[in-house]
Amino acid sequence: MSAPSGTFQERVDKALGNAQLKVALERTTGNARRKRAAAVEAWPDFVAARAAAAAIKDHSIAHMAYYLEMFERNALASGAQVHWARDPDEACKIVVDICKAANARTVTRSKSMLGEEIGLPHALAGAGIRRVETDLAEHIIQLAGETPSHIIWPAAHRTREDVAKLFDEHHREKPTAHDVVSMVGSARKELREDFFAADVGISGANFLCADTGAICTITNEGNAELTTTPPRVHIVTAGIEKIVASTEHALQLTRLLVRSATGADLTQYTTFHCGPKRPGDLDGPDQFHIVLVDHGRTEMLTEMPEMLRCLRCGACLNHCVVYRAIGGHAYGGAYPGPMGSVLTPVFDGLEQTRDLPNACTLNGQCRQVCPVDIPLPTMLRHWREQSWRAGYEPKTLRAAIRLWAFFAARPRLYQLAQAVALPAMRLFAKGGWISSLPLASGWTAARDLPKPPGESFLTSIRKGGTP
Amino acid sequence: MSARNDIFAAIRKARPEVAAPTSIASEAQACSQAMKRTLPPLDASDLVGLFTARVSAEKVGATVERVARLTDLPGAVARYVATNALAPDFALQPDPRLQQLAWQDAPGAELRPGAPLRRDTALAVGLALGGIAETGSLIFHSGAEAPTLYGFLPLHHLVALDAQTLMPLLEDYAVFASGLPVPRNVNLVTGASGTTDIEGVLARGAHGPGNLHIVIFN
Amino acid sequence: MPERGNAPNSPRVGLFVTCLVDSMRPNVGFAAVALLKSAGCKVEIPLAQTCCGQPAFNSGADEATKPIARQVIETFEPFDYLVAPSGSCAGMIKAHYPELFADDPIWLDRAKRLAAKTHELLSFLVDVRGFRPQNVACKASATYHDSCSGLRELGVKAQPRALLSSVKGLELRPLEGDETCCGFGGTFCVKYSDISNAIVGEKAQNVVATGADLLLGGDLGCLMNMAGKLSREGAKTRVFHTAEILAGMSAYAIGEESTGAAGKEAK
Repeated sequence: MSAPSGTFQERVDKALGNAQLKVALERTTGNARRKRAAAVEAWPDFVAARAAAAAIKDHSIAHMAYYLEMFERNALASGAQVHWARDPDEACKIVVDICKAANARTVTRSKSMLGEEIGLPHALAGAGIRRVETDLAEHIIQLAGETPSHIIWPAAHRTREDVAKLFDEHHREKPTAHDVVSMVGSARKELREDFFAADVGISGANFLCADTGAICTITNEGNAELTTTPPRVHIVTAGIEKIVASTEHALQLTRLLVRSATGADLTQYTTFHCGPKRPGDLDGPDQFHIVLVDHGRTEMLTEMPEMLRCLRCGACLNHCVVYRAIGGHAYGGAYPGPMGSVLTPVFDGLEQTRDLPNACTLNGQCRQVCPVDIPLPTMLRHWREQSWRAGYEPKTLRAAIRLWAFFAARPRLYQLAQAVALPAMRLFAKGGWISSLPLASGWTAARDLPKPPGESFLTSIRKGGTP
Repeated sequence: MSARNDIFAAIRKARPEVAAPTSIASEAQACSQAMKRTLPPLDASDLVGLFTARVSAEKVGATVERVARLTDLPGAVARYVATNALAPDFALQPDPRLQQLAWQDAPGAELRPGAPLRRDTALAVGLALGGIAETGSLIFHSGAEAPTLYGFLPLHHLVALDAQTLMPLLEDYAVFASGLPVPRNVNLVTGASGTTDIEGVLARGAHGPGNLHIVIFN
Repeated sequence: MPERGNAPNSPRVGLFVTCLVDSMRPNVGFAAVALLKSAGCKVEIPLAQTCCGQPAFNSGADEATKPIARQVIETFEPFDYLVAPSGSCAGMIKAHYPELFADDPIWLDRAKRLAAKTHELLSFLVDVRGFRPQNVACKASATYHDSCSGLRELGVKAQPRALLSSVKGLELRPLEGDETCCGFGGTFCVKYSDISNAIVGEKAQNVVATGADLLLGGDLGCLMNMAGKLSREGAKTRVFHTAEILAGMSAYAIGEESTGAAGKEAK
């Protein structure tokens, strides 16, 4: 498995140079946008529902310690073992130690973005434990040796033709045909034995329900239950912000989460896991572990509390023009798109990731489609401000903005400079367009610039063109 | 300091606990109520009709039939086995209400219930604890009489649902569940297993059942 | 067009012309003046204006933005309204000046008061003035791009369409992805020009696919971006600011050669 490498610009170059990527992204995100739009259309008060959903998340965030303690108490009472981790290293060590104590040779895993965030696949590999990804998309990228490029559709960068090639090459029984249904059938056969060979099953969580101590997962393939039920040990890894007050709140949020993600009313499997196998149970794990991870979330309580609302639905990715152009790998973190551009600087540091909040047009569509009304553009701009203050922005950019701002705050000087610049620019025009202009190649590399007028509007006005 | 203590200290520093549990509870209640007021109107007078429409919609993709009473289930299973050209052996959820049905009397096919649940089981027959009309979901609570895997291993899952146990909304399920012991697994099953992982195109039978057939009885 | 701008109860409108219109397309400014007068406003154009400061603000340079914002506030607070032919610049003043001065009570108060009377031109004409253009004709088919700031920060969507429905002979065609960003994004389009190019490339394809003669919108930045891409791709679509069509001042589209000062010739 290789994580995306190189600088942001190198990754962008690679993405933009890959025509297949755009085809794959548009098929997946286009389908997602259409289905979401239909689902939202059928809920006339959706805007009010978003506000109500934001209030539900804000409530659990406001009383986070209270509810986490309640959750822990109820989970322990159900026979679960609860572990706490400040950072990815601690979290991975806890998981690996549980696997080792269980003499695990094979673990199955159902999709968990928190697992990607903390680098769990690497940690398991480092411990010599065989990892089988059971979500179809995760299975595809495991075969391809890649990381997820979307939080809902990890293989959004792969076309069905790519998948056919991978399955032909890797599956013990090749798909009978290369249509989507046949390939899904092939994956079903391929993974079936692994579900029962696994010693440990690892899953994530969509919600931690304080009132019961149960973990709620929202899935659609059935792989999650086949991952968490047969093995002797079930481990859940979850961020502490997944806490909600109650089963009722979890279900209410699920309504918005699913519609925003796939456009369905509910996914096929909404499952609550509470503790290990009980007396009389014919199936279920002997041990049930919950690993709760901070990794910057307690800092976000102060710095950007609204981001803790995020349900990980992926709607902001599907509607982002930048994500749709460059795909998930170019972002370089576990979470791509607008929500990833807010989160990745928290996890990886702003200096390394300053391009992410900058590579955004601030068009606001991400916020418009967010089911919990996270002010993503405001937060992205907030990162830009921090980056500017910390001096991470390139020197030339800083100088250019400062120089421009100096003039912009002084109208007379500004207009003098403009009176020189406009006629000079006109010298580069052919017809009504400028196709190449020194210092403006960022513009003219991709598009023509209209020839400016001989004099500005305000100059015309000053000269007597009174309104 | 332990990780647990560190994390709680950091949370309390950012969000000092001042509210009393009763006021937190009433705030939580107010949040739920506010959400309920946004829901599209739902006609609760015909829950069976609503449930049936939802669950047979293309994006849910289950099939539904109605019978008069639970004792008609063997006949429905026999018809399903014949229609889908399945073997007469099937796994039967170990619920006494199902076990005591007169399977041998089902017309048309010699049904053989009681096959062990295996990784290649073609058909499992089960009984839902209830249903949610809003979403077309079946409710299962795991336990000795309802192992989780009956709903996930077979290729075909045939489920009996008592019309009396239908409830309108997800919130109604939350109220219903709050009066019961918390099971190890709650499974709200909404249609047949599916995936959109290849290009966002829906395909059935990813890992769970590719076919879900619901028999509603009174 | 009848001029009703000198009636005693006419509101005094300060036109914030925007830096792009000022430098790149004065015709939009003249069109805005004509429309505001037709809508019964007394229009004044303070010469002490440059830019709203958005390029600095969106670069995170808050301290560099503040002097520019203070100057806009000082210049425009005497008017009944500040009107700008751009959703992006009006949005900056309306939504982001108060954000910029959040920690400065005196300037925050002044910023909020200016924000309350700041409007984007097309929505001002419809929502505040109840204006519909009279006797304007434009025999052409057109498609419309909703610029993001106007659409999402100010709710500008129905107003330009309502105004254009009064233009005789103009046929409006739906644009696939009309609410999707064109990839301009202010400094974004030069800082990440290759990503911007990919986005505007898709937009240009959608525009061409409508087969419309004209592409219209309410923000010159987005319009220059799309017009520049359409020109580079050799498309024949002519691009105008909506105000130019509504004022009947649409002789030369963006990038069409003209002589002399733009405002005087585009009659």
